[in-house]
This record gives sequence, structure tokens and C-alpha cells, in this order.
Amino acid sequence: MPTANTQEENSKSELQKNHGGGGGFTRWAVVAVIFRLALIYFPGNLNLSSRPEVSTPLTSIRRLAEGYWLKQSSMSPYAGSMYHGSPLLLSVLGPLTVKRIEGQPGHILCSLVFVLADLISAILIRATGRKLQIAYRKSLKSLNLPNKSTDSGALSSGDIAALVYLWNPFTIVACVGLSTSPVENLFTILTLYGAATGLAPLAAFGWVMATHLSLYPAILIIPVILLLGYGPDAPPSKLFRSKEHGKVGDGKSSQEIIFSWRRAFHLLVWTSLWSVYVLVLCSISVKQHGSLQEMFQRTYGFILTVEDLSPNIGVLWYFFAEVFDFFRDFFLIVFHSNILFMILPLAIRLKHRPCFLAFVYIAISSMLKSYPSVGDSALYLGLLGLFLDELADMQFSFFLFCGYVGVSLLSPVMHNLWIWRGTGNANFYYATAMAYACFQIVLVVESVSSMLNHDRKLTKLSTSKLQK
Amino acid sequence: MAKVEKKEVAAATPPWKPKPRPIVRLGIVLISHSLLVSVVCCTAGIVALFLLPMLAKNTYISENALMPGSASSMLSNHDISEAERLAKDLTSLNSGAADAGIERRRVLAKYLSDLGVEVGYHKFQSHQNQFHPLHFFSSPDSGLSQENGSCSSYGINVVGIIRAPQADGKEAIVLVTPFNFRKNSSSEALSISIGYAVFSLLSRVSWLAKDIIWLVADSQYGEYASVASWLRDYHIPVFSASSSHNADSCFEGNNINLLREESPGRTEISSGFRRAGTMAAALVLKVTDVKGQLEDTLSVYAEASNGQMPNLDLINVVNYLAVHRQGLRVKVEKFLSVLTWEWIWMLGDTLNFIGKVAGSLNPEWKFGISTPDYVEGTATLASSLYRQALGIPTGPHGAFRDFQVDAITLEISPKVVYTNQGRRNEFILRSARLIEGVVRSVNNLLEKFHQSFFLYLLTSPAKFVSVGVYMIGFALLVAPLPLVAASLYVDANKPEPSSQDPKQKLQINFKPWKWLSAAKQVFTVHAWGVFVSLLPYFISQIPNSTPAAHSIIWFSLSTFGLLVLYLITKSPSKPQKGKWENLKSVTISAVFIGLLLMSVVNFATAQIGALVLVPACLLAQPLKLDIRTASLKSFLRIATNVFISFVAFPPAGFFILKGVNEGFGNMDVGEFWTWLESLWAWNSATYIYIGMVHLPCWVLCLQILLHSC
Repeated sequence: MPTANTQEENSKSELQKNHGGGGGFTRWAVVAVIFRLALIYFPGNLNLSSRPEVSTPLTSIRRLAEGYWLKQSSMSPYAGSMYHGSPLLLSVLGPLTVKRIEGQPGHILCSLVFVLADLISAILIRATGRKLQIAYRKSLKSLNLPNKSTDSGALSSGDIAALVYLWNPFTIVACVGLSTSPVENLFTILTLYGAATGLAPLAAFGWVMATHLSLYPAILIIPVILLLGYGPDAPPSKLFRSKEHGKVGDGKSSQEIIFSWRRAFHLLVWTSLWSVYVLVLCSISVKQHGSLQEMFQRTYGFILTVEDLSPNIGVLWYFFAEVFDFFRDFFLIVFHSNILFMILPLAIRLKHRPCFLAFVYIAISSMLKSYPSVGDSALYLGLLGLFLDELADMQFSFFLFCGYVGVSLLSPVMHNLWIWRGTGNANFYYATAMAYACFQIVLVVESVSSMLNHDRKLTKLSTSKLQK
Repeated sequence: MAKVEKKEVAAATPPWKPKPRPIVRLGIVLISHSLLVSVVCCTAGIVALFLLPMLAKNTYISENALMPGSASSMLSNHDISEAERLAKDLTSLNSGAADAGIERRRVLAKYLSDLGVEVGYHKFQSHQNQFHPLHFFSSPDSGLSQENGSCSSYGINVVGIIRAPQADGKEAIVLVTPFNFRKNSSSEALSISIGYAVFSLLSRVSWLAKDIIWLVADSQYGEYASVASWLRDYHIPVFSASSSHNADSCFEGNNINLLREESPGRTEISSGFRRAGTMAAALVLKVTDVKGQLEDTLSVYAEASNGQMPNLDLINVVNYLAVHRQGLRVKVEKFLSVLTWEWIWMLGDTLNFIGKVAGSLNPEWKFGISTPDYVEGTATLASSLYRQALGIPTGPHGAFRDFQVDAITLEISPKVVYTNQGRRNEFILRSARLIEGVVRSVNNLLEKFHQSFFLYLLTSPAKFVSVGVYMIGFALLVAPLPLVAASLYVDANKPEPSSQDPKQKLQINFKPWKWLSAAKQVFTVHAWGVFVSLLPYFISQIPNSTPAAHSIIWFSLSTFGLLVLYLITKSPSKPQKGKWENLKSVTISAVFIGLLLMSVVNFATAQIGALVLVPACLLAQPLKLDIRTASLKSFLRIATNVFISFVAFPPAGFFILKGVNEGFGNMDVGEFWTWLESLWAWNSATYIYIGMVHLPCWVLCLQILLHSC
């Protein structure tokens, strides 16, 4: 019951806070929900659900409805390479795709589910942000540094992150365009929330579900373990140690950061429990018409072998359309290990900031995944808001903003030029995809470097204090 | 994009680094000299635009398979006399009779079925063009609305299809002849003659590899509407009977049953919709009477919606056959008023002189162009740019482009109205041989037209400027935008000298995020732009009002909306006192993105828009600052700014252009509305550009000018 928890917490913290941040958040969140409902009601002729930017072979609701239809007519939902999602999602959302209410637009129930998912995600982001902020203030206090983040504005970084998530056009488009990415994002955020609040069972559940739905969140296990082991983001532990060293006369060592093996062990136990549970549910669901092996082949295998080469905003489809079949396996390994190569160095460098590490992992995987959509970008852009205090002096913010706006407008135009007018070709569209990837790289690089700069600044400040 | 990156990299380089990378240093140099660079680039961009007629290349046939003119014509006098008999039969019918239209269709169908081809009628209702603000991003069919039109506006096309003896019927070539069945017009009868002569020949030949469709389009509700509705029915089969049933129910009452009698000819006339394969190309054939011509001329119209052009090879083939085989004079549309401008002639003289001097220095340099050629080229180029920028198709061929079919309209006008049958037959022979030759060339195609250009501007029927050339001028024109935006951004966000010692406190002052408030302002104005562009949809619903009333309502509502927005957003943003540099920087970035987008959607609009917006944005500076300094330079800047911001206001610009062209005598407020209505009725992206890029940027420039700094 994460919602009840967070809402309780929200109300508590609103009482603690005297400025009107909470009210502002509620108001804007309600407006965001109303805005989504309005868009659902007047879909116009936007055809969002058939846009390649919004719905990928993995997240398209039309494919899900097809899979459900196949299942209803006693066939394997994975027959015919239409559906590639989870059987659990099929059991939950499938019945909603066929149910029509008189006088309402089609798929209205699904839309409502996605709106709800977005709202819960935002609330969870907000709660996570609050946790992070409390931890940040505590660590600043223990380093005897003045806390400057309070005068940053009326809203705290958690609120801003939640609102950024809710009001991001990408999120809105993914939600209104009936892709299942809001649900996938919800479980990823749930993982982070569970880990940040130290609830190993919740984190394990979120992680297992997110991995089950879209595979790539599997790499989040490292930040989740770190988060549970070390607690939320803090300045480098070296800093505390040197501080303890300086004040050795006090004999206090409460600030010593120890990795809590007990919690990590809890997480592993819960993870295996939930995994078994999910697998059992899946096998029950696919038992009649297929097997678990087919499910793995058609979901994870489909993701890893990049079978569907229809255009999307990622960089893999064009490459694998061009590459000789002979080299295909080799390049599949190269491209997927791209993500894996980055895991370890980043984990070592950013181990004191597990939440930020999770953000970086999510951003990298949404850039290099086989079927990316704007919903993935929506997730990491929302999480970016959580580190507002640390990333306050990030460079290129304006440039990145212009780039994101420009690319997200240019991409549909190029697609139109290629598909409908026939005057352009695939290179036009792929060029925007590459530009988009470049902007994402710049974003990741800049945010990591400014986070490291922030740490350096803290180190400098605290050492200068110690020397005084 | 790469440029922006460069600039930004430079903007963000910390000053203490001893030696930045060369590319960064280049960026720093460019930004620090942004004024000089922007003046040079803008001038070069405008000069490049005027050099385009000189840089135009001769057209050439790029697709080898076309082989135009390699076969001799098979058209005989027998075909022509048959065609003339048909024309006589059609014109001899009494036009006053109520069922003359039906009678004419029956005559035509009888002739066609006598040829042994498939004949069918296509019934359609003419739809009023609807406002689809988002049509551009959706597929062609999604904008189709099946509303219940009244039964009064229906038309019937006659379609004949020749099945190719050698082929599998996967491809087709379309001939279109607009014909008003209700009226007697000699020129339309002539065009039917030409069409029939070609068609009767093609029904006998053995070399056909593609089916031939001859569409005699009922033009009583406009030539475009009938062709468009036929194409829609051709490409988008209706599975539910509801919509076609609707049209049929109308015909029941209108004694359409006359058409459904037993066939008089060799083949049966079907009432169902007949299809052939995918269309390789389409030719629309028209004959017009133009007085005072020296020889028979052929005018080529190619612009489809949103400035899309057919593949250049199609025009090349037509041009080659018309000039070298049939001796017709080929024309493309040009602005005649340009020919009377003195300064264009002077410019042409200068360029001619420069070309000569260059030629004398090095005989290899052959870029000289004679003055009349230059002026003619400029006039054609101006017309080409204007037609593409409007985004309104110049003929029925525009409907084909929406389905990715290359099509052009051929308008043939005879020297005189022929009374002598021999001369008339000769004219028909030449025109029909031209069509036959083009059909034969297209028939040779193995794949769709793809070899030659899709993005080009014509400077004469045999000369073109390709995308690679005209983009240079545009790129030069807009290149200063990211540069100036970056330099303003750097100026506005310079670290203050007081904050240099970082030991004092933990600085989290959100300095790099200062642009956010400016971005908010820009966003609000653009949201207002969306509101303004959607307003006409609601205003046009008001019954019984004139265009003038519409425009007044529109203007007042827009102003009201702007005021409301201003009042809402004013109160919180006032204490921050946003720097105007930031606002200008964000505005320029928005203009840059908008122009870039538009250059992909419709280049001509972007080019014309850039000529107005780039100087407006670059020169904008708060008037207060200029008034304070009170020098000659600042006075000049004030004058230019006021002038540009007056001209850049869309209605003002429209009326000035109109006044220059037609005299300021009879101005009507409603004209602007009518003009815009035609834009949105044709789903022109230019309308969206004006509403969502141009107008907001104009407002933002005004805000910068009136900024209280």
C-alpha cells in the first residue's frame, strides 16, 4: 500500500512545512490529471497511439489488445509476433481493452489506469525526493556546512521532480498515447522509493516487476543494494571519515557509514521470493497455450535480439537493418555490452550516491535500449529533478532544453517527410534519432560531472572548515 | 544543431583553462565577434538568395529508363478524327436541357466502351474544405470527415481504364481531363479531344506495361474537388456501406438511373468503383484560351500542397518532348511585375558585368548570365517561391501528391482559336503526341520516380536550383541566430566578480537556471499563438457574418487573450526583473528552432519568414536603452526597429504587399481573413507557421523593445 503510506507522509510533512509548497503541488497535480483526462476525451486526429515515438512493439496497447484477443481465442498470446509483453500485464489490462463504455472513447479504462499510474509515480517521486532531501540536510549538518537549499524556491526538489514528471510533455504523450510505459515507469519508481525508505520487500517487489516488464531495470539491482546498504545519497564517505579524524578527541563515531549486510541479505531473500511468485503467476497464465520458455523467448529474447526493425527514436533499428546477417550476433553482443560495461565504473565512482547512480543507469539504458520511447525519457527527466540542489550549477541546461525541444518537434516532421510525403528517406529520421542520442549523452555526462563537482566543492568547503 | 553545440561549449568553458581545444577556441572567437559574424552572414544569405538564378543548373533526365522521344509516335489522323467526332457530339447537345450533363456522360461512356475499355462512373459529393489544424502530422485519410452533405452538390466523373496487355495490372498511369458536363466550352471540348485521341491510341498499342486510367473529372464544383474525391475513393476503400450509401440515396432522386441502362458499346458500364494498380504518374491536361500569343504554349504547373513538388524528371520529360519533339513553347509561371522593376535589371547588369570580368580573367569561370535571362529567372524564382510558400496546390495535380503520386498539370493554349479544321487537327496532333510520348516514357519506368530531385525551385522550364544550393543561402541567413543567442546568454549569465571566492559559502544560487523565467515567458506567448491560430475555427462557425466582421472579432479576441495572459503572468515575474538579454536569447532560440522546422516542412515559407524574422530578432533591443544613449546609431536602430516591427505584423505586411502590387485604393479588412481562410482550408503549414512561429516572435520582439530595463 504505497499510496496510503506516502499520502500519510505527505500530510505529515505538509504540517511540518510552513510554506505553501504542498498546496502548490496538490493543485498542480490535480490540474495535470484533469489535463490528461481532457486530452483523452478529445483525442482529435492526433493518432498518438500509432506514433513510433510513443508506442514501441513492447509498449503498444494495440499489440496488447491483439495478444489478448489471441489468448481469448485459445491461442498463445505470443503467436504471430504481435505481442511481446508480460502475460501478467495481459491479464490485467487485456480485459480493459475490450470493455467499451457507451459514448466514451475506446480504451478509456486503459487510459484511466495509465493516468492513475502516472499520478502514483509522481507521488512516489515526491516521497523519494523528501527522503533524499532530509538525508542531504542531515549530511550537510553533520559536516557543519550551512544549508543553502532552503531558499531555492517555494517548492522542494521532490515536489519539483514530481511536477516535472507529471507535466513533462513526454509523460503526457506516453500516457495519452496509450503506451504501457507509465506502468513500467511506476514499478521502477516504486523500486527506488522502496530502497530509499529502506523497505526491502517493497524494493524487491518493484525491482522484480520492473525487470519482468521491461528487462532493462535489472541493472538497478546495484543501486538498490547500495541504497539499502548505505542509505540515501550523501557526500563521499571519505569526507566523514576525515572529519571524524579531525575531531578525534570527541570519540564519537556515530557518523561512520557501514554497509548494512543485513538489509542487502533481506533484499536478496525478498527478491527471490517475489521472482518465484511472479514466475508462478506467469506460468499459470501461459500454461494453457504455451510455456514459460516461450514467454522468455518472446519477451526477453525479442528485446535482446532486436527482431523488430520498425523505426523508433533509438539508434539500434537502423543499424541492424543495415548490418550484414553474418555480423549480427557480434554486434548484438557489442551493443548490449555497452550498457553492461558502464555499470561497474559508475557504481564505483558514484557508490555514495546510489539514487543518482540509478538515474544514470536509467538514462543510459533508455538511450541504448532496443525499443526506446519517449516514456523512458520521461522517467529519467523526472528523476533528474530529484537532484536539483546538487545539480544547481549544471552547464548546458539551456542548450539541452533547446535541443530536446527541437529534436522532439523535428522528429515527427522528419517521419512525416519520410513515410507520408516520400520526399525524405530513412536517413532524415535517423538523423534526428542520432541527435537525440547525442543530447542524452550530453545530459548524462553533464549531470555526472556537475554531481562530482558538487562533491568536490563540499570536500573543499569542509576541509577548509577543518583547517580553520 | 552542431553550431549551437559549438557555441554552447564555448559559452561554458571556464576562463581559467589555459588552452581549450581548437573547436572551442573557434566557438569563442565566433561568439565574441557575433555582431560582425551576424552582419556578414545575413548579408551573405540575402546576396545568395539573389544569386540563385545565376546558380541554377540546366535540367537533365536523370532516370535512364525514361528514354523520352526514343520511339516514334504512333498517333494517326484516324484517332484524331474519331476524337473530333466525339467533341462534336458533346458540343452539339443542347446545353440548356436539364439532362444535358447526363446525356454528355452517356455519349462519352459510349465512345469509351466502343474502344473496348472498362468504363465506370464515379459519384462523389463535393466536400467543403475543413479546418484540420493537425492534419499535417497525420496520415492523409485521418482528416477525412464523412459528414452528411446536402444532396445538391454531387458530381459524376467518368473513368476509363485500359488494362495493359503485357502486365499484371500492378501499376497505372493516370490522365485527367477536367470537363464540365453541364456547360459547353470549346476549350474543354478540345481537351477532351486530345485526351480521347491519346486514349484511343493507347487502347490499341501492344507496348503498354502499365494500366492507363483516363479520368474525365466533373469540374462543376472545381477541378480539384472531383479529382481529390476520386483519389480518396481509389486509395481508401470504404468497407462500411454507410458513406457511399449516403451518396447513393441522393442519386436515387436525381434520375441518375438514366446512367444505369444497358451498355450500348462493346463493354459493360459498371456502376461499381474500378481500380487499377498503384499510380506511377499522373498528367492533368487542360486547354485554355489565352489571347495574344505568338505560338502554341504549354504551361506547366507543379506545386502541390505545402510546397511539395513532383519529381523533377517528370517535368524534364514533358519539357524535353514539348520543346524538342513537338515544338511547343514551354512556360512556367512567373511574376510579371518583377520584369518591370528597375533595380532587378540593374542587378542583372551588374552580375552580367562581374561574370564577364571573371570570364576574361579565367575562361574556366563561366558563371555569367545575360541580363534578360537573370531577370526572367528572378521572376520565375519569385513566383516559384511564392507558390510553394502559400502551400496551396496550383491545380488538380495537387491532390495526387497527397498520395505520393508525381503529377503535373499541363495547360496548353493554342495561338488562336482555331476555326480551320486542318489547323485544329494539327494542334490536337501535336498535343496528343506530347501526351503519348510522356506516357510512353513513364511506361518504361521500372520503379517509382526517385532518381531526380523532389526539393527544387524552378527558374525556367529547363533550369532549376536544387536543395543543396538554396539551402546554403538559408543556412547563412539563420546561422547568426544560435550565435547571437549564445553570446547573449553568456553576457546575461556572466559570473559577478564578487562571487569569485568559493570559500565563503556553499553557492547554490541556481545561476545557470536563470533562463527559466524567460523560457516561461516565451512559452506563454507561444501558447497564446496556438490559441490565436485555433480561434478561426470557432469564429468561422458564426453564421451570417462577413469576413470583415470575422477579422475584427478575431483581432479583438486575440488582443484580449494577450492582455489576460499578460496580467496573469505579470504579477509573479515582476520582482525578478528578468534581464532582456535572457529573453532575447530564448526568443532567438525559439525562432531558430521554428525556422529550422519550417525549412524542412516548407522551405519557401521558411526562407521568406527568415527574411523578416531574422533582422527583427537580431536588431531588437529595448528602446529605453537606445533613447538613453541618444546617438545617431541608436536613433537609426530605433527607426529600423519600429519599421521592422510594423512590417513584421502579419496583417500589416499583407496589406503592404497587396498595396504595392495592386495599389492602395480599395482595401478591405476582410481580405486578410479571406486569405488566411484559403490557407487553412488547404491545410497549409504556412498558416501554422504564421500563427505559432511568426506571430509569437513578433510579440516577443515587441516585448523586448518595450522592456523596462
